[in-house]
Amino acid sequence: MNATLFRSDPGDGGRRRPGGRASISGGTQPPKVTLVLVVDDDESILGMVSEVLADAGFGVARARNGREALAAVDRELPSIILLDMRMPVMDGWTFAKTLRDRGAAVPVVVMTAAEDARRWAAEIGAEGYLAKPFDLDHLIDAVRKHAGGARRN
Amino acid sequence: MTALELVQDLTWLIFIAIAVATLLRATHRPTPSNVDVGLLFGITTFIIVESSVVTALGITPNAWTNDLNSGLVMLLPFFLLRLADDFAGVGRRVRAAGTSAIALSIAALVAYAPPRPLLATALVGAVFVVVTLYAALVFLRNLERTHGVTRRRMTAIALGSAFLGAVILVATVGAIDPAVTGLEQILTNGLALATAVSYYVGFAPPRVLRRAWQEPELRSFLTRAAELPRLGTTEEIVREIERGAAAATGGDASLGLWDERAGVLRFTQRGAAGTFGVRPPNLIAGRIFEMQRPMFVLDAARGDPENAEVYRKRHVRIVVGAPITAGTRRLGVLTAFSERAPVFTQDDLELVQLLADQAAVVLESRALIDEAARVRAHEEATRLKEDFLSAAAHDLRTPLTTIIGQAQALERRARRDPALGAEVGGIQRLVRESVRLRELVAELLDASRLERGQLVGPFAPTDVGRLVADVARRQVAEQRPLEVRAEPGLVTYCDAHRIDQVVTNLLENAMKFSPPESELEVRAWRDGDQGIRVSVSDHGIGIPATDLPHIFDRFRRGSNVDDRRFAGMGLGLYISRGIVEQHGGRIWVESQVGEGTTFHVALPSTPVVERAEVMN
Repeated sequence: MNATLFRSDPGDGGRRRPGGRASISGGTQPPKVTLVLVVDDDESILGMVSEVLADAGFGVARARNGREALAAVDRELPSIILLDMRMPVMDGWTFAKTLRDRGAAVPVVVMTAAEDARRWAAEIGAEGYLAKPFDLDHLIDAVRKHAGGARRN
Repeated sequence: MTALELVQDLTWLIFIAIAVATLLRATHRPTPSNVDVGLLFGITTFIIVESSVVTALGITPNAWTNDLNSGLVMLLPFFLLRLADDFAGVGRRVRAAGTSAIALSIAALVAYAPPRPLLATALVGAVFVVVTLYAALVFLRNLERTHGVTRRRMTAIALGSAFLGAVILVATVGAIDPAVTGLEQILTNGLALATAVSYYVGFAPPRVLRRAWQEPELRSFLTRAAELPRLGTTEEIVREIERGAAAATGGDASLGLWDERAGVLRFTQRGAAGTFGVRPPNLIAGRIFEMQRPMFVLDAARGDPENAEVYRKRHVRIVVGAPITAGTRRLGVLTAFSERAPVFTQDDLELVQLLADQAAVVLESRALIDEAARVRAHEEATRLKEDFLSAAAHDLRTPLTTIIGQAQALERRARRDPALGAEVGGIQRLVRESVRLRELVAELLDASRLERGQLVGPFAPTDVGRLVADVARRQVAEQRPLEVRAEPGLVTYCDAHRIDQVVTNLLENAMKFSPPESELEVRAWRDGDQGIRVSVSDHGIGIPATDLPHIFDRFRRGSNVDDRRFAGMGLGLYISRGIVEQHGGRIWVESQVGEGTTFHVALPSTPVVERAEVMN
């Protein structure tokens, strides 16, 4: 079932980019595909967001905490990071700080169920925020909007 | 001029100088003790001057001058006794006995012209010596109960009295046995000088000397004052200030703290638990507080006869007090007092005011520390509560995120790919209900935060007209005919996010409860000086008159609404009213069933420029 869903026609995101047929299993990914790193300790949210983004034509990498996310950034070179804030092992603040200290300029969109989504986003210098629970339209819009302005040094 | 003559002349000069100083003070401030001191030195100096004039003019001392001199000399122990009483208190009987003995001596001196019988001379000398030594003893005994300046003065006076006693003893011996005259003269002169200086220092210390004595006490008080605010309870600080003020002034001191709520000055009971309250302008302390100026009251019982008994019971005679005031905040009163009038001089007013000012600084710092602790405790409590609420909110939203997201994802795919054969209707119900659940959770959390006063955040200058227009266009978009009329420049201080929430809520209601094609009207205008007005009107089903009074209550909705799909928990208007009211504004509704509904909001208009200046 999963496989069927992932391999189905790309959504709005896919249609906008030429040859934007995305596959989470990598392999023959077109070089220009937008890779989204999703960081969340909640397995369900991680799964849901990954599926939705893959379905919308994005490449997706996952991490369950800040430390995994740092490794993923080095390995996958994502175009954008969707970042949960409250996580075990390494939280969103520490991750964001380490990321900036390393000089990485990947856009970050904070994704939190706490009250202070906007404030926290400002705190860590994130490009945007998504207050959970969000609508899928908002999720996809946010990724599209901020992934475009990837600020690589 | 022999050395002896030099000592004699010097002694006389000092006596004359002291006499002038003390007499000047006695005329300037004729307090009983000032007068007594003035007379003591005046008489002594008169005798000295008179005898030198007589000697210089070569006049043979006659019986009259002798009698005058003798009588005046015997007045000295009389004044000394009075001063001892004034300073340290001697019994009434002692005073009577001393006075009669002195009177008797004067009589004896007048009765027996020289050459006098030995016994008479010896008796008169003995009375003199006994009185002066008694005075010395009284002052010495009193040392125990005094401190600071007063202790030093008592020591000097006790010493002076001892010297005076010795002077008379030597003189008497000389009178009885003429053989020791040479030695007697030297001793008498030296001792007389010592007496003069000691008495001057003790009875009438010049301002410079008092200041010098007060300085170390004051310095230690000021040094300590810096640590006082952190010392412990306010009671402990008050006690420390009292101790410091007592040491610096040489009397007792008490500090009354102003208790705004009770309207009394609270004084700590000496040696007893609890406090006693003084309601201004009662008592001298109350009067000082009421008039907000320092006071010097020589005799409390006479200055405030209504409360004479209170002062007597508490052994209060002389009072020097000053208000403790920090800026315009009246904190209390500091009074120094004593049972013995000569303990303070008018100069102490300045000192007590200085101590009171220092006390104000200390108490104010203490109040600030207390206030900071209270604020911290309050913040902590709020944070704990908030933490619970935030944690609950976080935990509710997390699973909702997956539910809503997954439901919407399923819905998209089902619509996009009918071949999948998914049950679109079922998936749509799932999406709708999960979104509704999200709204319910949001309303519930907003209502909780509203009730805790945590919903409305900091105010910032906001153009309400533009905000209303933006919200209207965003919410209604192309779905409805919409008329927006917003005056420009409706700027006031508010939490724009929450005002947005109110307007959104009103528009959502208007859209829910009116036909899909009917027009909505949104207005924002300035209502004279009344503030800023916003209205949202629809041409919908209206609200029955019986429901109108309850429409802003919790869990209420119109009784003519039976479609459960419409409703949140019925908290939307309740939250809106809370937000508006926490802005100092008002929200109300006008409605006709079948015609439509208009919600009105009035927000106070804070002049933005003025506030900005204050902030700068």
